[in-house]
Amino acid sequence: MFDFDFDPDEKMLTCTFKGRIDTIISSQLSAELESKYISHSENKDKESPLEFGIVFDLKEVNFISSSFIRLCVAAKKRVKDGRFSIRNSDPFIKKTLKIAGLDEILNVT
Amino acid sequence: MAGNLMERANDILERAILAAAEFQECNQEQTDKIVEAVYRAALNARIKLAKMAVEETGIGIWEDKVWKNVIGTQLVYENIKDEKTVGVISRDQVTGISEIAQPLGPIFAVTPVTNPTSTAIYKILICLKTRNPVIISAHRNAARSTGEAARICYEAALAAGAPEDCIQMIPAGSRDFTQTVMGHPGVALILATGGTGLVKAAYSSGNPAIGVGPGNVPVFIDESADIPYAISSIIKSKTFDNGTVCASEQSVIVEEKIADQVRKEFERQYCYFLSHEEAKKVEKIAIVKDSMSMSPFIVGQSVATIAEKAGITVPEGTKILLAELSGVGKEHLLSVEILAPILAFYTAKDYHSAIKLCIDLNYLGGIGHSAGIYANDEHRVMEFSQLINAGRIVVNTPTSQGAVGGTYNMLPPSLTLGCGTGGKNITTENITVKHLINIQRVCSRKMNDRFFSVDRAKYMDENCDETVLRYEYHKNH
Repeated sequence: MFDFDFDPDEKMLTCTFKGRIDTIISSQLSAELESKYISHSENKDKESPLEFGIVFDLKEVNFISSSFIRLCVAAKKRVKDGRFSIRNSDPFIKKTLKIAGLDEILNVT
Repeated sequence: MAGNLMERANDILERAILAAAEFQECNQEQTDKIVEAVYRAALNARIKLAKMAVEETGIGIWEDKVWKNVIGTQLVYENIKDEKTVGVISRDQVTGISEIAQPLGPIFAVTPVTNPTSTAIYKILICLKTRNPVIISAHRNAARSTGEAARICYEAALAAGAPEDCIQMIPAGSRDFTQTVMGHPGVALILATGGTGLVKAAYSSGNPAIGVGPGNVPVFIDESADIPYAISSIIKSKTFDNGTVCASEQSVIVEEKIADQVRKEFERQYCYFLSHEEAKKVEKIAIVKDSMSMSPFIVGQSVATIAEKAGITVPEGTKILLAELSGVGKEHLLSVEILAPILAFYTAKDYHSAIKLCIDLNYLGGIGHSAGIYANDEHRVMEFSQLINAGRIVVNTPTSQGAVGGTYNMLPPSLTLGCGTGGKNITTENITVKHLINIQRVCSRKMNDRFFSVDRAKYMDENCDETVLRYEYHKNH
């Protein structure tokens, strides 16, 4: 359901999700994401900004809950210089993020 | 000065309130007679007023302004003439509810520079039909033509027995005075058509307002569309009155696979794709960078004038200038609303990307207004419509004429288009007479037998939960 790919040259962690990301899945995802962040980070402190960028690929996602949006905002805050983006969003997901006023902040494409 | 403004406002409102009081006495027949007389006079003056508007404002094409006047008079009249707007307008024996229409009182109507006569006539007709006196505030650059339209309507109304001062004009050009009148307690409703600033001022006045603002209309051409037909329709709409209708197309979005075909068709039908450098030159004269808004100097201008101002050469007879853009927003200034024959053109890699572009354009200053789709796939039409925040999504139809209604579809003909709460409006509907009456509902006693058949004691019993109460409520006796 989740797939992680770290590119050390680009310093970019790409997280690819699939299916429906509801509240329950988001809560499972939260811990998994955090462990991935830490494992690729040189700094193991949770409070320090990550020195790499994060991309959430939603190509095969057809639903996101508000909990997932929180994870996106949290990821954006974790990375240095705001290197966070969401790509391949479904138009309905794009609209959801647009209505929430987050599409620009989260660099949604 | 402030006192002086208030005194002048008081004078206008006193007259309007007296007119409102007298208007209350009119029955449906008398009201309809007044409306018919105004419609006739205004329709007869359609050409003169159109020419006057173009001459005064330097905006648009007089022949198209004639059409706008026809829409604002004949089509509006035909749509409202049989509506009941006085006294008991409906009686429902089954529900026992009767509806009585009451006028609102003085309506303050602001008219735009782009449609100075048609919007004035349309507002006068819907106000008179609902027995509301109207105070018109014309745009400062269109005061003479709006004033003439109002004068023609007023004379016809008086001759048909309308109360004195049922139509008044306030002097154009004073923002302070306009705001003073807007906020005057005697105003029953503000009917504001214009830019964002005006609409905001109307809503901030403390009086009820129907204010409708700008659009930024995206048009998606789906692969299932009939492309030559779609392009000809877009041209018909975008060139209408040199693109001054706020529902006119602002951007065309297509998928990569049909982009070449669409481009060629635009070119075949005498439209011109600007090079990157030419687009930058047009952008410079068309957009005020700081405010990210169109320049008033290009509103309603012809392609030839725009090209000349921009210092570019385009083939003679060019109908529309198209700029190929790769994004939306401040880095791509031609993506904002431009009421002139300039269109943004986007190529998206697939259907989903195209729709997402439409969403971005829709949210760039045009929330709730209008959108267009050319498609022969009903599923895509409905999917697009659910994703776009627009009061009107017109299908296989020129958006300028389609959104205004009365010609290409059965929407009520109107020159004030509601944009819903997204556009800070109270409605997404085309504004017409039903929005200008207070409806009183006379409710005959009709007992709700289900409610009264429930044993009262059960509601007081902690042991009776929703299941019990639902059963009791729906039980057949």
